[in-house]
Amino acid sequence: MLFHPAIMALLTTDLLSLVLLVPAAAFAVQVLRHWNLASGSVRQIRLERATYLVATIVGFVLAAQLLALLLFVFTADALAVQFVGAMCAVGTLNVNGWGFPALVLKLALFFAAAAWLIVHNIDERARDYPFIRAKYGLLLFILPLALAAALVQFQYFLGLRADVITSCCGSLFSSQAQGVSGDMAALPPLPAQIGFYLVMALTLAAGAWSLLRRGSAWPFALLSSAGFFVAIAAVIAFVSPYIYEHPHHHCPFCLLKREYGYLGYLLYLPLFSAAALGFGMLTSLALARTAGARSALAGVLPRMTAAAAALWLVFTLLVAWFSATSHLKLLG
Amino acid sequence: MSGFIEVRGVRKAYNEGQPNMFHAVDGIDLDLRQGEVTLFTGPSGSGKTTLLTLVGGLARPTEGRVHVDGEALSSLPERFLTERRRRLFGFVFQQFNLIRGLSVLDNVMLPAYPLAPSHQHLHARAGTLLESLGLAHRQNARVESLSGGEAQRTAIARALINDPPVIIADEPTANLDSHLSEAFLAIVTRLKAEGRTVLLASHDPLVIKAGVVDRRVSLRDGRVVG
Repeated sequence: MLFHPAIMALLTTDLLSLVLLVPAAAFAVQVLRHWNLASGSVRQIRLERATYLVATIVGFVLAAQLLALLLFVFTADALAVQFVGAMCAVGTLNVNGWGFPALVLKLALFFAAAAWLIVHNIDERARDYPFIRAKYGLLLFILPLALAAALVQFQYFLGLRADVITSCCGSLFSSQAQGVSGDMAALPPLPAQIGFYLVMALTLAAGAWSLLRRGSAWPFALLSSAGFFVAIAAVIAFVSPYIYEHPHHHCPFCLLKREYGYLGYLLYLPLFSAAALGFGMLTSLALARTAGARSALAGVLPRMTAAAAALWLVFTLLVAWFSATSHLKLLG
Repeated sequence: MSGFIEVRGVRKAYNEGQPNMFHAVDGIDLDLRQGEVTLFTGPSGSGKTTLLTLVGGLARPTEGRVHVDGEALSSLPERFLTERRRRLFGFVFQQFNLIRGLSVLDNVMLPAYPLAPSHQHLHARAGTLLESLGLAHRQNARVESLSGGEAQRTAIARALINDPPVIIADEPTANLDSHLSEAFLAIVTRLKAEGRTVLLASHDPLVIKAGVVDRRVSLRDGRVVG
């Protein structure tokens, strides 16, 4: 294991998160079993008093997990210089078999945390705790995810050895590679671009329909969630080659490097924010089972839709800009 | 639901889970009607102040509910409770709790900043209130220079600045002589005429015998005894 400050910070964050999430989950069970706002019982009043504190703590923990993903990727990239064969975060993540599972789990935790924070935010805006059961139910799902992410990340960091010769991103994100990354890298540029712009246009149209015509928010929330996968495929298939100006360099992690002007952060910030908002909206819509919950949700949906749509638009414009200004010609 | 203010099975315990735990309020049910003046009496430690803080949303019960105007006040999340408390209640505390170093006008205006449409509007309303309470000439004076009666009227003006339908006054005449206590009761008569609900806690004989009081609730050991 490497005693790097960021690794220590990530491990400490996970340990503290678990220390705080476990009792919060025990409280969640109490809420799910006994919450009854119509009652003035001692237990109900204790739950009401405690939920403010518990939810605030959980909010901080999950907000820390949002930042932890960024730190994890940044650290993986920064550590690449320590491993023979590594050119970017991919090489660092490939040092042992736990790297990519850790990333996938941290991604899942990122979106689950974002969804919880959004549901909690809506719940806090109403007088009658309309999402109280939903958000604590969601917490019971998040705890095992956080535990798995922490354990896998710990295993990954524990197995980081500087004498390992690792493989670079070229072997993972190439059209010859096996697996999903290889399939995405092998996508032909024209259909990939048509597909991407079509999905983005549909997403923005669904957002506009929801905002201007007061249509259902479901289509936009669904497209915003699915749009994340389409966007990642687009980044691998054609955005990365355009930025690197190299037809066979598809790595989505090298974009985070200094030599490419940290363009990845510029690209991923609106992408992840938009997708997190979309996923949060989708979760909130699915969990809004009561009239009070639907009413509370209706109060914030337009703002969330506008914010997510704006972020998708920024991401799409960035992709279009990088494609248009590149010296690489993938089409024609 | 029958009263404007409904207190249902309310208990308030202090030092919970410790050997010296006690119930300051121990299972109270009450219905208080709009526009009435209710006086809570009882010896020290009978639960008057605690009951008023529970009704006014300054504290939460350990058990039971407080409903005001049909809304379960005691179950509201904190931010909504603060907002409702600000709109519903005006408080006159025994020690008046004026903020030293500020003028009479600033003390009166202070609770209304979050709700007032503009500073000019707030300034005008505070001026009108102080004038109606005979304090217009003292509005720029620091509160530490006020007499007991002036301090109390400043506290009343502050309680009224948000135009609340309910005024809660805890031992309002405890620090006043009989002349000033009479003046206070005259103000209560005015508040009642304006349709406000007034809740008083007092064991001052002058207040107990006052004609303005519509209802008297006697407390002992945290329970209603009459």
